[in-house]
Amino acid sequence: MQIQTAPEGLYDELFDGDNRVRPGCRLLKQWLTESDESLLAEKRREADVLFQRLGITFNVYGEDQGADRLIPFDLIPRVISAADWQKLQSGLRQRVQALNRFLFDIYHDFDIVRAGVISAEQVFANPQYQPGMQKLKLPRNLYAHIAGIDLIRHNDGDFYVLEDNLRCPSGVSYMLENRRMMMRLFPELFARAPVAPVDHYPNLLGETLRAASLKPDPTVVVLTPGRFNSAYFEHAFLARQMGIELVEGADLFVRQNHVYMKTTVGPQQVDVIYRRLDDDFIDPLSGNPDSMLGVPGLYAAYRSGNVVLANAMGTGVADDKSIYPYVPDMIRFYLGEEPILRNVPTWQCRKPEDLSYVLDNLASLVVKETQGAGGYGMLIGPRASKEELSHFRDLLKTRPDNYIAQPTLSLSTCPTFVEAGIAPRHLDLRPFVLSGKKIQMVPGGLTRVALKEGSLVVNSSQGGGTKDTWVLEDDQC
Amino acid sequence: MLSRAASSLFWMARYLERAETQARLLDVSLTMALIDVPEDREEQLSVPLLVTGTREAFDQLYPEISPQNLIDFLLLDHRHPASVYNMIRTARDNALQVRGNLSTDVWESINLSWLELKELRKRGVTESNASRVFDWTRERSHVFRGAAYGTLLRNDAFHFLRLGTFIERADTTARVLDIRHRMALHSLEGHSTQSFFEWTALLHSLAAFEAYQNTYGHNIEPMNVAELLILMPDVPRSLHACLQEVASLLEQIESGTARRARRLATSLYANIRYGDREYIEERGLHEYLVDFLGRIQRIAGQIQKDYMGW
Repeated sequence: MQIQTAPEGLYDELFDGDNRVRPGCRLLKQWLTESDESLLAEKRREADVLFQRLGITFNVYGEDQGADRLIPFDLIPRVISAADWQKLQSGLRQRVQALNRFLFDIYHDFDIVRAGVISAEQVFANPQYQPGMQKLKLPRNLYAHIAGIDLIRHNDGDFYVLEDNLRCPSGVSYMLENRRMMMRLFPELFARAPVAPVDHYPNLLGETLRAASLKPDPTVVVLTPGRFNSAYFEHAFLARQMGIELVEGADLFVRQNHVYMKTTVGPQQVDVIYRRLDDDFIDPLSGNPDSMLGVPGLYAAYRSGNVVLANAMGTGVADDKSIYPYVPDMIRFYLGEEPILRNVPTWQCRKPEDLSYVLDNLASLVVKETQGAGGYGMLIGPRASKEELSHFRDLLKTRPDNYIAQPTLSLSTCPTFVEAGIAPRHLDLRPFVLSGKKIQMVPGGLTRVALKEGSLVVNSSQGGGTKDTWVLEDDQC
Repeated sequence: MLSRAASSLFWMARYLERAETQARLLDVSLTMALIDVPEDREEQLSVPLLVTGTREAFDQLYPEISPQNLIDFLLLDHRHPASVYNMIRTARDNALQVRGNLSTDVWESINLSWLELKELRKRGVTESNASRVFDWTRERSHVFRGAAYGTLLRNDAFHFLRLGTFIERADTTARVLDIRHRMALHSLEGHSTQSFFEWTALLHSLAAFEAYQNTYGHNIEPMNVAELLILMPDVPRSLHACLQEVASLLEQIESGTARRARRLATSLYANIRYGDREYIEERGLHEYLVDFLGRIQRIAGQIQKDYMGW
């Protein structure tokens, strides 16, 4: 098939500016050129049927609960060269290490605040800050055991960190299932391309979770809000892959500050909870009292040191968009190193001079809520109507603290099989970083792609799809 | 294992078994209605409603008993829980809850049943294509069973699942036998061809027609039928076979302290195992079965209390 490349000025993941195939992508390009449309269309239908059968579906908030939707899967993989991955890996390691050090610090000694790097107000007045976590000793001083770091590639070819996800990052099941699907649909490709495997992620995750406790053989469970949660499939998937129980709040109870699960042979003590519930829903006694999802008394048991939560309570401070601009400073402060991965320049609307710049240049900027997630509540200046711009202008003036702004980045594009043939679509990347006895990750991540032409919103709740992510072991192919 | 997971597996299997039986019952009733004399037609058609205890629910939703109304009600109606549609949906919901305890093959077999059923429902089922849907229901049940036997670890998850199957099966066999045996006895007073069909209907409802012929030959004797479906250990849907499984599964399931369900099941199993047709005759088949149904329900309730009652 004919491959359309990115328009002038955008970074195409497959071709460089002179229309030459990038290192490591020759095989992929050849395969695309040789494949005809009907074959790809047929394979795509096959993938849809398989995903339906496997039940790899998600629920969208606000839609009919029975309506299971598929996240669109694109057949054309996104390739990351071995050289790029090397750099990403060391950068991610460095970043997550600094973030964990920061979390330890803000619940213990407050060095970074004392040193004047970040203001006390920004840390302690942050709604995600959990005063109850102060002075609590956690095994290995780890807070964010599982981190999902969102990156984009700018038109200068460099990766930038867009956001850190340190609460309950999701999407790793798609990384694994997309690979499985590709190997099933196109085994011949994998026979020739040196693609690094990702299938051992559940093993690493299990290892990380066991290392979160100091007990020799801890009982680990996955705590899910239940099957109406949009990521339920993933919770079940990971529990199964790790061979541990998938529990709901009602399956657990707390007695004398210890946590037990209700089993067919009586109570069984639980040592580590990989929780896929936000802080507020963990325990109705300390968080949202109306929530039926959590376990009464869990926070107290946690604070007594009798159970470990992964991730820890109160990690949300560190991935808040108002703290994000300081991550490079954290790296310098705690590790004494220069950041390997770059941040996107960010204006903090809470600062008067930043706010006035943002208001003057609104039409060229992206504005995000500091607490927002999932691509909701954001403004993309260049795409916005007059009304939207003036609406956001008002919002910014009334609640400047709630917003940050960034330049509109030109996310890189990758050839994607869409109605118009093989055409460029924008994408991002979320690798998953695991912190246990050591920091580990599998070579890969979740690649999300905006399927609408020109769109920059990759979130699955807003029409985004996913692709298999190939990290190459060797760029000579 | 988690109590909730045990409960989900137990009910998942019960619903799948129930869906299969319901299709068999309806299939037999529709066929019988065709060969029956017109005045008995309604009685024939109402058998599945009697067995499943849904006559009242049916009357609330439909003005009269007709083949099409029964098909709609028992197969596809989403408005009441006893339709095959809702049973498979509930089974799939339960399967989703215990996805981690199932193999991919078992999960896919249930998920695919659900996806296909949604399609079937969209296309609609009429008298003319109903038999294909009955075949489909049976086949999906076979696929589930095959996947479960062929791919599940023999652990407590598997045992609870099978427990659901056999409790449900024992319950159904007793109900079908009770109702259809009475109808068939009644028909003995009439035309002999008609009577033959009545007995075969009973046997077909429980997939035991061939088993009967193999065991007793072509002549159908009422007490032989009862003996086959109650006392014969080698007939898959006999009460003996079901209770043997239930008792042995409860033996295998890891249990903590005192387990009453185990005692109740072993005692009922012993009754059947050492029972004989003379005892059933003396007691009266109907009374015997009513007693059995009460006891199997107590066992089911006790299983919930012992293992899932948190």
